[in-house]
Amino acid sequence: MRLAHDSFAIASKEIRQLGRDPVSLILTFMFPIVLIGIFIVIAAAFSAPSYNISVVVADLDTSPASKILVDKIATSSIVRVTQLLPSEDQALRLVETGDVMGAVIIPQGFQESLLTTGRAFIVLQADNSKITAPTLIQAAVNREAQSLASTSGAQFGIKQVAVDVIVRPISGRPPTGDTILPGFLGMIAILGAFDDIVNAITRERERGTFPRLLLSPVNIVSIYTGKMVATVLLTAVRTTLMLIIFVLMGLAIRGNILLVYLTTSLIAVFTLSLGLVLSARIRGSSTLTVLEIALTFPLFQLAGVFQSPELLASGGRAIARILPWTYGNEALRRVIYLGMGLDAIAGDLLILLLSSLVMIPIATTLSKRTM
Amino acid sequence: MERRRSTAFSNQLRKESKSDRNRGRAIDREYARLRLKLLRDVVAVAGNEFRQFRRNRTAILISLVILPLFFTFSLGAGTGSATTRFSPTASIPIAFIDNDLSSDSSKLLQVLRSSGDFNNLVLGYREDNALTALGTGRIYAAIVVPEGFQSTLVNNMTSNVVLYADDGEPGVADQISATLRRDVQDFNPKVEVQVETRGLAQVEVIQKGTLFSGFNIGLVIVLGIVQIFATFYEIAGGMSREREEGTLARLLVSPTGIASIMLGKTLFDSVLATIRTLTVLGLAIFIYGARPNTDLGTLLAASLIVALVTMGFGFLVSAMRVGPRAVVIVEFFLVLFLFAFSGLIIDRELLRGISQEVTYVLPWAYGFEILRRTVLIGRPLISLTSDLQIIFAATIVFYVVSYAIFALARERISF
Repeated sequence: MRLAHDSFAIASKEIRQLGRDPVSLILTFMFPIVLIGIFIVIAAAFSAPSYNISVVVADLDTSPASKILVDKIATSSIVRVTQLLPSEDQALRLVETGDVMGAVIIPQGFQESLLTTGRAFIVLQADNSKITAPTLIQAAVNREAQSLASTSGAQFGIKQVAVDVIVRPISGRPPTGDTILPGFLGMIAILGAFDDIVNAITRERERGTFPRLLLSPVNIVSIYTGKMVATVLLTAVRTTLMLIIFVLMGLAIRGNILLVYLTTSLIAVFTLSLGLVLSARIRGSSTLTVLEIALTFPLFQLAGVFQSPELLASGGRAIARILPWTYGNEALRRVIYLGMGLDAIAGDLLILLLSSLVMIPIATTLSKRTM
Repeated sequence: MERRRSTAFSNQLRKESKSDRNRGRAIDREYARLRLKLLRDVVAVAGNEFRQFRRNRTAILISLVILPLFFTFSLGAGTGSATTRFSPTASIPIAFIDNDLSSDSSKLLQVLRSSGDFNNLVLGYREDNALTALGTGRIYAAIVVPEGFQSTLVNNMTSNVVLYADDGEPGVADQISATLRRDVQDFNPKVEVQVETRGLAQVEVIQKGTLFSGFNIGLVIVLGIVQIFATFYEIAGGMSREREEGTLARLLVSPTGIASIMLGKTLFDSVLATIRTLTVLGLAIFIYGARPNTDLGTLLAASLIVALVTMGFGFLVSAMRVGPRAVVIVEFFLVLFLFAFSGLIIDRELLRGISQEVTYVLPWAYGFEILRRTVLIGRPLISLTSDLQIIFAATIVFYVVSYAIFALARERISF
């Protein structure tokens, strides 16, 4: 009873303190909005229906078949043909110098080969030092080449590919760039909790109020529990803010919304527990924040925010499975996208809870030792 | 008389020329003395920075160990090594459901298994229980070969396979469908050994040019981001801490010039930046087998160019009299902005409207372009003139503006 009373006293002190510091208050709620705003731009770019990727074409065949192919590439919604060049060398040079992102070369004898053997090839050189553009160019050129077979196949005696793939996503959502949004909600819970730990412990240490708090009749467990309660409350506000943005963006939350709150709270509690361990050793608030930011960016990849941990190399998959955040992000995705219930995510939530329970005694011991 | 006058005139000329020479020598000596003083001050400031750095174990750990190691290991963990072929779909559990049970559907299974892209195909699922298992994490996709698959192929028509994918996992559905499409594109039921064939794709697209491994592409990002992360905090964070402790004001009014202070800190941070670059490269080359397409000198120079522009920005931010907390916030948003708008996640050419305009204003975007073109493509640094001009211009602007602001601050302190 005393423990609960003290914890709530500490929690209300934390909230009051944050309320008195308008800069921290604005930052704690503004950064998730800015973060999500930036990544909405990225997500929009990933799922754009059309691009203007500059390519050049060298039609060395100048036959009716090659002209149809050039027309098809020129009208593609992905690439923009900036020049038609007479030689392969000129086209390749423009790619090497970085003036264009790709070059399509239709070799001499293209039509003749199609008519005599029913097969032909074209050459594509893309600027492979880029991240996304080469894949998009390759997909666009492939599509137009196959389209040549399907629309003008009879004219040149060719037919379509033998096997086509029909994709049916199980969630029934349209294939947009919002696949990263649940992971982002998890990431915002992590970043928010990191910010809270800096506010909660390190800054108190810098002001000299932390030793006073420890010397008061309040138990250290109550202090940590109180700070966690405050973080859970702040995480709930951040989650609400994010869910409003998601809904405004047209994202349908299929599962129970309380499970979303429960998952983000457990993510925040685990992050805070880890932060308590780190702050026992690292005393400066700026140093701790920089370290936390530095740790956060690789987490985008390793905790399954941008892409599923299943797509990582074996080492990365192993690390992802060790990180409790991965389970939190997975739980969020399963609730938000697939509408799954508590039974489906109970294992994930349990991992988060147990990890936090392991961290808190370590933090308490370290904190006492370094006092 | 005339002769005497002429001798006097020439003597006077000789004397004047001697005094000019003496004056010139004195000016030269003064310049040399000033140059020496600047150099001595720069070295003194850099030495002081090193002494302070050596005393701060946390700073050493973060700057030289955690940042380079953590970023490089994360890259390796995500993309595998630079020497081995890595297929993201290879170990994902995927159900293969053959509703046709024909020789052609068996051949399709053989093609997928031998492709190296689907090493974890699970047999024995029915279509309905596979759909139930999707979303639970037991399987991430189900490839269904429908009834009539072979008969459609026999009639010389295009047959279909259906892919049910767990799109609750980001990227999984797209990656599996793209890989599956690529693998079945060359499927030819008439040929027994599938891997050797070129299949029925009538217009084949041959990719020319070097393909870079995910690790090598990521290495460029790590080289740049590690420098930006560390140098910005070292410069801006260091200056703001000095301001809080009150030592910056003393330093500004000391006989050491502002230029010496800035250059000394730049020299100190350049040494740290070089150590960081060597650490990242050492790990990348000796542990993950990366082979940069350029020499070490170019690599160090390209990396230092990115570090220098960040240092300039660090001076500019610290000249605005911001506190350590604000520095950290600026750093966070700087890195976030760079992730979004510098072609690190998505090529800047693919962005539209205002977001594309932003990419052209960020000097770091040109730094990443320089790193990409040298490390991956092997272009000589000197040939990237326009990128170099922009990044050097930005660096000079940052340094000059911060110098001017510091000079004003010194004036205020002096009065």
